[in-house]
Amino acid sequence: MGALLRIANLNVRFPGATAVENVDLELRRDEVLAVVGESGSGKSVTALAVMGLLPRSAAVSGSVVLDGREILGLPEDELRRVRGARIALVFQEPSTALNPVERVGWQIGEVLRAHGVASRRERAARTAGLLEQVGIPPERARDHPHRFSGGQKQRIVLALALAADPDVLIADEPTTALDVTVQAEILGLLRDLRRDRRLAVLLITHNMGVVADLADRVAVMRDGRVLETQDVEGLFSSPRTEYAERLLAAVPRLEAHDRPTRLTKTDEPVFAAENIVVDHPGRPAALDRITLSVAPGEVLGLVGESGSGKTTLGRVAVGRLRAASGTVRLFGRDPAGLGRAELRALRRRIGVVHQDPAASLDPRRTVLDSVTEPLDVHGVGTRAERVARAHALLDQVALRPEHGDRLPRELSGGQRQRVALARALALEPDLLLADEPTSALDVSVQAAVLDLFTELQDRHGFACVFISHDLAVVNRVADRVAVLRDGRLVELGPARDVLTRPSALYTRTLVDSVPVPDPVAQRSRRGPDLEVPA
Amino acid sequence: MTSYLLRRLPSLAVVLAVSSVLVFGLLRLVPGDPATTLAGSDATPDTIAAIRHQLGLDQPVLSQYAHWLTGLVTFDLGRSYIIGGGIGPLIGGALGNTLLLTASALLLAVLTALVLGPLWASARRPWLDHLLTGVNTLAIAVPTFVLGVALALLFGVVVPVLPAGGVPRGGLLADPGITAQYLLMPAVCLGLPVGAVLTRYLAESLRSELAQPYVVTALAAGVPRRRVLLRHALRNVLPTSLTVLGLQTGALLGGAVLVEFTFSWPGLGMLIERAITGRDYPVVQVLLMLSVTVFVVLQLLTDAAHALLDPRIRLGGAR
Repeated sequence: MGALLRIANLNVRFPGATAVENVDLELRRDEVLAVVGESGSGKSVTALAVMGLLPRSAAVSGSVVLDGREILGLPEDELRRVRGARIALVFQEPSTALNPVERVGWQIGEVLRAHGVASRRERAARTAGLLEQVGIPPERARDHPHRFSGGQKQRIVLALALAADPDVLIADEPTTALDVTVQAEILGLLRDLRRDRRLAVLLITHNMGVVADLADRVAVMRDGRVLETQDVEGLFSSPRTEYAERLLAAVPRLEAHDRPTRLTKTDEPVFAAENIVVDHPGRPAALDRITLSVAPGEVLGLVGESGSGKTTLGRVAVGRLRAASGTVRLFGRDPAGLGRAELRALRRRIGVVHQDPAASLDPRRTVLDSVTEPLDVHGVGTRAERVARAHALLDQVALRPEHGDRLPRELSGGQRQRVALARALALEPDLLLADEPTSALDVSVQAAVLDLFTELQDRHGFACVFISHDLAVVNRVADRVAVLRDGRLVELGPARDVLTRPSALYTRTLVDSVPVPDPVAQRSRRGPDLEVPA
Repeated sequence: MTSYLLRRLPSLAVVLAVSSVLVFGLLRLVPGDPATTLAGSDATPDTIAAIRHQLGLDQPVLSQYAHWLTGLVTFDLGRSYIIGGGIGPLIGGALGNTLLLTASALLLAVLTALVLGPLWASARRPWLDHLLTGVNTLAIAVPTFVLGVALALLFGVVVPVLPAGGVPRGGLLADPGITAQYLLMPAVCLGLPVGAVLTRYLAESLRSELAQPYVVTALAAGVPRRRVLLRHALRNVLPTSLTVLGLQTGALLGGAVLVEFTFSWPGLGMLIERAITGRDYPVVQVLLMLSVTVFVVLQLLTDAAHALLDPRIRLGGAR
């Protein structure tokens, strides 16, 4: 069978940089071709080039043939007729992909209108049909986007993209911004749509689990080039390039693994909460009667979907947020009863690493200044000693001394997160709060940062509250795991038990929703559609 | 919407009450006494005292304030000391003229912005972008009185195609065609800077709006570029543009004073100028209160329109 979409020798240059170089891809009818790669690999730029939607500063050359017709360089008006009607595009972030001030039905209607459906009544009827097909009640066409959840929005975006009945769907990280259970639902919907509409799908993703779940063939991209293209089973069993092999190895997996237990039950916990409640006025409790503790030297993983209360609990654990009721003990004392000076002394023993290192480091301070800041604030040693200590810390997080003089923007994402880690460890804390520390990073970088984290934890022996939505990441670093849902503690226990033999129904759903990065295993375990227990 | 407006009413009342105290108090602090002015330069202290008594200026300040406030609320605005006549009719006539002028200026400003804003935001050719930037900067930078005099000279004297100032002899309502001729230059002069600010704001916000993912979603689904710009994106920037427009309208009221003076347009601006030079307290007080009220009500209307246009605000701010 011939290719429906053939990209040949595609090159995209921006002033001063080449984004895509000699890319060849073939999408056949009825197949899902996954394009995988890390940030900067040129996946999304390729998609935008096919759609003719790159900014004017981009110089594009090569060929994009759709069903026998060259579409690269078509005049805007002809290209417009191709968009939506022959090729459609869905992006990563459903919350911004819809126009916030218009009703969703109107937005779908706009696409129908653009492709010649003049009658208002017919548009309304077809919009209702489309919404129904993606599992949204048709009467909700009159609602605005903010009334829908993230998963619902992504369903609406799919309805919008498919309104003019395209043959090709380009899905750019369609599930990345979603919780795992929602991701599983959207992947299921994509499978159904593909089958019912005989769609050819170009799936852009960095998630190997999603690839294993959905793709027939896979192209691996790096630095704007396609390194290899082969069947999904082939790629996972015998990758041809060393890079693909490394990429696959870096994917964290949810398998049982043994870590020497560091639990010393006799010691007093660094953090203990008993029946704590945190309220936000007018909303359900953010934390509802949570009881747990963190032992010295222990890594407690906090997992749960968005809105489950992970971050709130983390803030209570480091004394940043007060519980409305229940008792909190931080290093054996109640932070609410402490004076300013005592609280300061307490905070010296706590380090924090945030999700996005680009936002948590001051963009105008050099790396060295950022790392010495906690030492300056607490007046540790002389200036020379502080600088020496900062250099030692940078060395521990595998950065070279010359990195100290750079600004955050002159570093890569992974390097920035190393700096954030060094800063958090500057005062040799007894407790570290790490809130989604690797979510903003590529898998290979994530693997390196997680290795570094484990090494530092072994060396310094700090206790840690490690928050993540990614079960596999938590599995890799945590001794014990607490699963949160809607502010309640669903399950708490040793990591290997909770994540591989979960006892709570919700945890099992969560674990089952994570697509396994192995096409054979993922296809056999998929079975009937997953449902979240009420 | 009604409940939204009702919730805003108490704060509006507080603002007006505080302003009334400030307006009343400030004028008492200004040196110079209307009784002295009225009596003339060689009046005896007795004459001045008699005039003070007649005007009620010998009463305690608090009771003067109470008297004045009661008058305001019951629309009994009192009489002018210096210009003469009841303040109500005096302001009534001028208010109509000023409203006509500012409304025309506002209309010109909004139309300019709606045409040039999107054009500028989507300008693909560098020369067009440079041209619009230059003209826009000039329009914002040139002071109203300079522009007014220049316009009046150019089109009223050098190439006399328009009347250089004043109003038609038969009144503004007699012949709309003639009125438009008299109105054109003052309205352009008053509306230009406002239109320029609004155009720049609209172009800037449209430009950043065009980078939003929903714009790419619409384009990728085949919605024409022009429609995405003029319908999808514009609808998103209108609420904030309205806020800018509301603030600019306040500036417009200030600008009206200068423009009316330049073109001898018998509106509130001319009146306030006369009242201030003549120390005509009652007129100045009422005029100040009037402009505060207009400003506050404008802001309220702006916020209400903002809420009407943005469903996220209307529904209580839940995103």
